[in-house]
Amino acid sequence: MLRGVRAGLAGVVALLAVLLTSAIAHAERPVRLWHAYRGAEQQALEEIIASFDGEVELLAVPYDAFASKLESTVPLGKGPHVYIDAHERLGDFAERGIVAAVPFELEPGAYASKAVAAVTIDGQLLAVPLSQKCLALYINTDLSTSAPATLEQIAALAPSLPSGSFALAYEARGAYAHAAVLAAFGGALLDVETDDFGFEGPAAARSLELVASLISTGVVPEDADGALVTNLFAAGQAATAISGPWLAADLGDAVPYRVTLLPTIDATGERMRPLLTVEAVMLSPRGAADPDAVRLVQHLTSPAAAQIRARVARSVSARADLPVSEDPVLAAFAAQAELAEPTPSTAAMRAVWEPANRAIRKFLRGDVSADAALAEARRRFDDVRRPPPPPAEPTPVLILLGSLSLFGAGLLVHRARTRDGLAAIRRSLPAYRYVALGVIAVGVLVILPILFGAGAAFFAGKPHDMYYVGLANFREILTARGAPLLSSGSFYVVLAVTVLWTVVNVAFHLGIGVALGLVLSRPVMRLRGLYRVLLIVPWAVPSYVTALAWRGMFHRQFGAITGLIHAINNLLGTNIEPIAWFARFSTAFAANVATNVWLGFPFMMVVTLGALAAVPKDVLEAAEVDGASRWQRLSRVTLPIIAPSMIPAVTLGAIWTFNMFNVVFLVSGGDPDGTTDILVSEAYRWAFTREAQYGYAAAYAVLIFLLLLVTSRVTDRLMNRGKA
Amino acid sequence: MTRRADLLEAIAAHAVVILAVCFSLYPILWVVSLAFSGSTSLEPQVLPIPIEPTLEPMREVVGATRIEPDGSEIWLFGRQLLNSVVVSIATAVVGISVAIPTAYAFARFEFVGRREGMRLLLATQMFPAVASAVPLFMILEALELLNTRTGLVLCYASTSVPFAVFQLRSAFEAIPIDLEEAAMVDGATRFEAFVRVVLPVARPAIAVTFLFAFMTAYNEFILAATLLDDERAFTLPVVLQRFIGEYDARWDLFAAGAIVVSLPVMLLFYQVQRHMVAGLGAGGVKG
Amino acid sequence: MVSVQAKQLIKRFGETTVLAGVDLDIPDGEFAVLVGPSGCGKSTLLRLLAGLERVSAGTIQFGDRDVTTLEPRERDIAMVFQSYALYPHMSVRKNLEFGLRLRKTDAATMTARVEEVAKMLDISHLLERLPRALSGGQRQRVAMGRAIVRRPALFLFDEPLSNLDPALRAQVRVEIRKLHDQLGVTSVYVTHDQVEAMTLADVLFVLDGGEVQQRGRPIDIYREPANCFVAKFLGSPAMNLSPVELRRESPDQRWFAGQFPVATPTAFAGLETGRRVVAGVRPHDLVLASEGAGDLELDVEVVETLGPELTVHGTLRTQAGPGQAYVAVLPAEHRVTRGDTLALKLEHLHLFDADTKRTLRC
Repeated sequence: MLRGVRAGLAGVVALLAVLLTSAIAHAERPVRLWHAYRGAEQQALEEIIASFDGEVELLAVPYDAFASKLESTVPLGKGPHVYIDAHERLGDFAERGIVAAVPFELEPGAYASKAVAAVTIDGQLLAVPLSQKCLALYINTDLSTSAPATLEQIAALAPSLPSGSFALAYEARGAYAHAAVLAAFGGALLDVETDDFGFEGPAAARSLELVASLISTGVVPEDADGALVTNLFAAGQAATAISGPWLAADLGDAVPYRVTLLPTIDATGERMRPLLTVEAVMLSPRGAADPDAVRLVQHLTSPAAAQIRARVARSVSARADLPVSEDPVLAAFAAQAELAEPTPSTAAMRAVWEPANRAIRKFLRGDVSADAALAEARRRFDDVRRPPPPPAEPTPVLILLGSLSLFGAGLLVHRARTRDGLAAIRRSLPAYRYVALGVIAVGVLVILPILFGAGAAFFAGKPHDMYYVGLANFREILTARGAPLLSSGSFYVVLAVTVLWTVVNVAFHLGIGVALGLVLSRPVMRLRGLYRVLLIVPWAVPSYVTALAWRGMFHRQFGAITGLIHAINNLLGTNIEPIAWFARFSTAFAANVATNVWLGFPFMMVVTLGALAAVPKDVLEAAEVDGASRWQRLSRVTLPIIAPSMIPAVTLGAIWTFNMFNVVFLVSGGDPDGTTDILVSEAYRWAFTREAQYGYAAAYAVLIFLLLLVTSRVTDRLMNRGKA
Repeated sequence: MTRRADLLEAIAAHAVVILAVCFSLYPILWVVSLAFSGSTSLEPQVLPIPIEPTLEPMREVVGATRIEPDGSEIWLFGRQLLNSVVVSIATAVVGISVAIPTAYAFARFEFVGRREGMRLLLATQMFPAVASAVPLFMILEALELLNTRTGLVLCYASTSVPFAVFQLRSAFEAIPIDLEEAAMVDGATRFEAFVRVVLPVARPAIAVTFLFAFMTAYNEFILAATLLDDERAFTLPVVLQRFIGEYDARWDLFAAGAIVVSLPVMLLFYQVQRHMVAGLGAGGVKG
Repeated sequence: MVSVQAKQLIKRFGETTVLAGVDLDIPDGEFAVLVGPSGCGKSTLLRLLAGLERVSAGTIQFGDRDVTTLEPRERDIAMVFQSYALYPHMSVRKNLEFGLRLRKTDAATMTARVEEVAKMLDISHLLERLPRALSGGQRQRVAMGRAIVRRPALFLFDEPLSNLDPALRAQVRVEIRKLHDQLGVTSVYVTHDQVEAMTLADVLFVLDGGEVQQRGRPIDIYREPANCFVAKFLGSPAMNLSPVELRRESPDQRWFAGQFPVATPTAFAGLETGRRVVAGVRPHDLVLASEGAGDLELDVEVVETLGPELTVHGTLRTQAGPGQAYVAVLPAEHRVTRGDTLALKLEHLHLFDADTKRTLRC
């Protein structure tokens, strides 16, 4: 039998080897083009490529992974020759050397000047504009027979609409859409002149107040995300919508509509002006040196290609030398693009989004005045943009490290040279043969990255240009960067939230897990196996999927929980208000906890079942004979017996929960105001959304690690003392 | 009295469990309903029932194909499903092959560095991946494993090792040492005793550990999205991520894909769940 | 078939010394029993012989082969474990074949030998079962079978009967002895049960504190225990021991150890007045005497009737009043009840030095 198993195993290994190597062996020759297009845009791109004279290898990358994929490949001379991305990232890409200057000149007048300006940094043309995207106004021609020219006219539609419908659907809580409103008041998210935060002052405050009044009068839905805007408009429940070309792609012929310029706002008489995103073709350094790749860029940006894109994907070309499209939607977006303002591509702009988004949401929740919300956004912006710490002298640390490692090595040698030490090591040799593979694998691919990652905590600067700053990162974190130590977002406050998060979660995991384990192991249970399988299902489905499902259930207007509340109201005649889950810390935190408890209780349940299987029956019978009640048998006998085998699982569970980044990120996203962020999600923000401050994020990681290490050692000690 | 009490207990126990089952299935049924809905309701719903039921999203996800440069058409989704399964099985096989001897040594041998090693393994679980991801890429690059599925498998396998070692160590510790000694007296070397006696006896625990390692790889997408640069080499979570774009997301496709992705794991769970109780229970996951 | 010689075996686990210089010599073909209380080192000693532990110092020889550093598999031994250690994933047949398979025995021989042993142990009908489907007694037989089928030069038994119920234990004990007589293979048997020790052993080693306290034929050890420990450990009920002083009124009078008369002073060495000794009397060596004619007087407290014998527990009377607890075994025909005072005569006296606890017998 064993021989059979071994042969089978060998077969599996061989098969795996073949499968793993098969598809990787692709030729280096074709030009490699990366993009994040989907649907019609992807189709258009494929059609364009098909007419290219040369071999192209297309790769559709998930949007979320696009930048990090470029960052991890292009600087190493790998990755694509050519890629398509939004112009906003050019500034960052240029700094990292991911993008090279375009090695040819654009025909004068062939492209919209705004688009060319958007892809030019410091006088260098870094990409060739492809298409332009911006928001425009969709009008449901059934619901609004006239063409409203001002926001106020749109608002005036509201009373005539059935309940549950809105006059205007747009993502009011997002800075991207709000930028258009802001522009009508003469403001901008970023002051382009000074490259400084621009979302402040009277213009910003008035824009916010206008939106607040639109929401409070029921003109605009308050909680709309992109999907909801689409759904509302497609269902004929929104007379107008502010959205981009993607809405047209999703609509089909669900409702009769037309697209026009964003309206003006009576208060200023100015037109709303959206942000413009220029999708552009970029060349990696090795692409710029490859004639085929350059030829591909020219092919992609040719008028013929633009026509294919217009026909297949209805995208607005950045070329200025094409005839006005006959497609009214396209023409309208083209006209809107001319009025739009390209999003700045500087690092400062990237630092604007998070503070601006939070300020808008905070104000719209009615928590604070507009001025206070904006002032806080300003502070957040300054906090992220604070000057990096000065370089520190590494010599003292190097000396310290050197002498420490010398001392350590000396100690080891000394111990090894004593007879006992040597004998002990000789006795250990057989064991070392068994652990060797594990040591190498974990050492190289787990521990080494951790050491490097921890090392980064002592550095600052851009990923490829870091310099030593000593303990400055830690100092900044632990002093809350000069703000009051207990201000929101400071290390101590986030730590408190994290501890609360961990304790509450583990308590629920344990409580529900143990309770279900106990119930399932009762002899009266029928169909035990079936229930067991059904109960571990949450564990089997990928958590990023279910976390998003939970987020959907918590949606204030359309979530299942709100549905449940309606059902209860109908049934009992009560009048419970739907809860805006992510508007308050307590409810947002509860939503996160509910999700994570759901994800985590099956593990504890299974561990409990296992531990219960090991409880000797006679002990329970003895307790019963001794006159212990059910509850006493449980609390005095069963639980103490299973406790020791549960402790390791609880320890690991606590560690995982402490670092459970997925749920917080996907469910509440830190809302409201970053208060539900835990330490890991804070670290993540510093690493990936706040100007890639890896050193700073690494310092967070090291602090998390130290906290966990110390806590686990202390509890270990306490527990061992308890035993002794 | 007992019959009455038993009946009451049975009713209460079943009520509790059925309630818990509802709790555990409800969000998943939402995903299912989303996957089979032809449109979305703008009224909050209580029951996850598909609206205008349709198989279209499922067909679109599962039916994805790709035209090769030579003009032939391949079933892309099938290929990617196979990738996911292959990568995950490879991860589990490699991870377990590494973890088994390591765990055995921790369970059975006294050696210099044993305690420290165990602590170090626990400590690796404490460091957030946020800060170790970038160095990991550097190391993979140095090993010329970047952009390969082998690199991906090695990364997954290594990350799965610490937990697998905890698991297996307690499983091995629960096996009476007499068995190995009997085998050694019977004429086996230590290694033969390990392979022919300990491993077969520890099979339930190994099955459970296999499942965990499989899942580490099967559900992961950040590394996969970053490391893989051939559509034909993508794993399913990466494909799912593709349905979420910069401006909008195809939730119906996402949900349909999520269901297909979950099916193999559910199947594995179903196969392994009987062992799971015994496997995790054998002393629990001792730290 | 080999003889076993161990010289000055020392085994330390960290700081604790488990065996402090043990010598063993077991002649070829004999059945040796290592007996002692738990923690005496007997199991460790067996494991050293098996090669499952490494000696800290000393040598082990099987015949003229030095096996001190050999692996278990190189020693040509078989062992029966207290837990039986049957491989749970293999059928009985596979369990029996395992050792042969490892030695690359050909299939025909293997089958033949397994059938033979199965027949010998009456487990032929169990061959295809898994261990978990066997009763305790059946498992024990399979464990024995697994050892026998290999035809080793030396059998090691680690308390193989301790998991059986008493009736079965007595039966299997006899069978083990029979098997040994039939096979003639040198055997080393570890137990804490003195009945097994006495009944099975050709040569008996009594261990305590990591040392061999006494080696010899069981009956010799029973009759002449070398020290207080052995005296107390072997024999049931245990020997009565009393710390006393030697005295004699004048050189021509009888020696007394406390109140116990020394009947044959010539059997002992080093008798001198005032020497502190331990006087030992086996309960079976006490007989009832007519009133006033006894050496001792016992106030009876509990009487246990065991068929042919009575075990009488009581307190020994001394000049100074009631003294230590004492046990006597008397024929069942005597009528003894609680509260009686018995006059007892002793038939045999053991004397040990109070400090060294060694016997004074020469």
